[in-house]
Amino acid sequence: MTSPKGEGSDLKTIIRACRLIARMNQARPEALKSEAMYYEMLANYYDRLLNARETGDFIAAHTVFFPSEIIYAMDILPMHAETTTWMISLFSGEIAEILSAGADLGLAPEICTPHRGLAGAFSLGTLPRPDVMLWSNMVCDNTAKSGELLMKINRCPGFFIDHPFHNSEEEIAYLMGELEDMVRFLEEHSGRKMDWDRLSEVVAETDKQIELYREINELRKVVPTPFHSQGFLQLLSVDYLLAGRPEATAYLETLRQELTDMVQQGKGAVPNERFRLMSLFLPPMYLMGFLERISQEYGAVSVTEPFFTYWGEGRLNPAKPLESVAKKSYMIPEAQMYGPLDERQLTRVATLAEEYKVDGAIYYADVGCRHTCATIKTFKDVLNDIDVPVLTLDCDVVDPTVASQEEVAEKMERFFELLEDR
Amino acid sequence: MKTLGIDVGSLTTKAVILSDNGILTSTIIMSGDEAEESARMAMEESLSQAGISINDDLYIVSTGAGAKSVSFIQQKKAITTCLARGARYLFPSSRMVIDMGAESSTVVKLNERGRVNDWAGQDKCAAGTGIFLQQMAKLMQMSLGEMSELSFKAKSRASITSTCAVFAESEVISHVHRDPPTPKEEIIAGIYYSVVSRIMTLCKRAGIEKDVALVGGVALNDGVVKTMEKELGFAVLVPDVPQIVSALGAAILAREAMEKEAS
Repeated sequence: MTSPKGEGSDLKTIIRACRLIARMNQARPEALKSEAMYYEMLANYYDRLLNARETGDFIAAHTVFFPSEIIYAMDILPMHAETTTWMISLFSGEIAEILSAGADLGLAPEICTPHRGLAGAFSLGTLPRPDVMLWSNMVCDNTAKSGELLMKINRCPGFFIDHPFHNSEEEIAYLMGELEDMVRFLEEHSGRKMDWDRLSEVVAETDKQIELYREINELRKVVPTPFHSQGFLQLLSVDYLLAGRPEATAYLETLRQELTDMVQQGKGAVPNERFRLMSLFLPPMYLMGFLERISQEYGAVSVTEPFFTYWGEGRLNPAKPLESVAKKSYMIPEAQMYGPLDERQLTRVATLAEEYKVDGAIYYADVGCRHTCATIKTFKDVLNDIDVPVLTLDCDVVDPTVASQEEVAEKMERFFELLEDR
Repeated sequence: MKTLGIDVGSLTTKAVILSDNGILTSTIIMSGDEAEESARMAMEESLSQAGISINDDLYIVSTGAGAKSVSFIQQKKAITTCLARGARYLFPSSRMVIDMGAESSTVVKLNERGRVNDWAGQDKCAAGTGIFLQQMAKLMQMSLGEMSELSFKAKSRASITSTCAVFAESEVISHVHRDPPTPKEEIIAGIYYSVVSRIMTLCKRAGIEKDVALVGGVALNDGVVKTMEKELGFAVLVPDVPQIVSALGAAILAREAMEKEAS
């Protein structure tokens, strides 16, 4: 699944792989229609970026948990930075070259690999050069620093959003001010004007999508659960890349209907559901196929992911689009990892474990993410207190040299044996 | 009813035959290049000692680093499950098992029924393992037994890192060549403390709970056992033959499987 390295070659690999998977799914009568839709959407997202120069589109690269609604409303193409590194790892399996290029830039091996890999990919030119770089301090300090480096590598202007930790009226107002400044920055550099009515439409679409995520989560509570083990990655990718886009709503509506049908038929995602799991943080992308196979083999399935699929309370108000975008950043599942942990976040993890009838949890301890690794013991204690065992799996989200498939397999087999023996 | 448990470790392969009356035989041999061959040799030795021959009634479970490569078994089980069963069989009060093997160390926390509640392991570095101690014995030009004996004479201990076996070795060399050299017993006490503190971090991750069984080949080293007890603040339970605990656990799991099949 590789192509000769050159401008945009990593995107070409992602696009080709997505189209192939979409076609394979279309050809399998038993496959869910939403699967093909998902991969087609991904292919189209990256295809637009690949051809941006020819189509005259303006590219705004941005870091994780960024308000892409604003970018879409201004008719600018967003390029989600970290997700693109995951996609390279997931679809090409070849990450060594871009990580090595990141190291050549002086980035130490302990630095978050999605950021290190992305810096390397931009420096090699295997991703299209963005016109502007947008980043924030959400969800970690590394992101705040990384954006600055990416801006320098791409020799493009950039804008940093200072996102307050806490969620109060005062801080929402401050964040709205930051977003207004960003809009002015984008207008100045792209030559495009913000269409506030268009932003209202995009926000209305995002609001629909959040409701759909919540409905899908409810369906996943059912025993046996209808959504496959690594399916949550699709849900979070859709929000990261396509928030407010109508094709994302169509995908989520189709998925909701398919899962509803499965629930009504009593059909589970795995043939004999035995272990319902909570996933904490991101699994290694390069092992996705293996993780799906081992889950099927042991009847294990991820049913809840507090930091990736649980949406906080509240609705977006299209009549107040900028305020809604600001508020959304505190409703997204990842917001629970943002800032200091408090009792509510810990209680929520325990509540979700009970509501979703979780048998065990897997904590994917990404060695490059100090932010999340620092919370392992805290979450483990909370879950152990309600008799939910936790497997801490040392790994990296994109770098296969940190943990081999054999190591991961051995630990997961031990864990499934532990669950079985209880 | 007789069952056989085989633990194919990186340094030694252990086999235990369990009968209705308890442990019938146990065997420890050096592991060869082929896990299958080592397991077969250990099995044959055990069968010969027990005076029985392999037949359909002998249910076999394998565990350990080479367990997957053994073809003549009914089941393969995780080392953690085997350690839990083996330790609980020998010491019914145990709530934690510390396994200090040749190339890896594992701490297993048990629930009130003796089932695995949690575990923590380290297999990325030789620090805290039997191989590390062997290497240190070579460096100190004495046997493991002599090292252990000498450690009891130490009045203080040399500072040696617990984070990296290579760095620890350099530090020991530096202590030996110091002018005047650090007394050998203090270096040895430092080595044991380095090994034990590495294991203590695993214990703390899993959550220390009494009683603690210390198993694996390193548990034969009295100096390490004493240091571990000092750090834990209480006495640990050490079996007569600490190397065979996981093989014993495998034999117990084989018996459980047979009983399940029979019912």
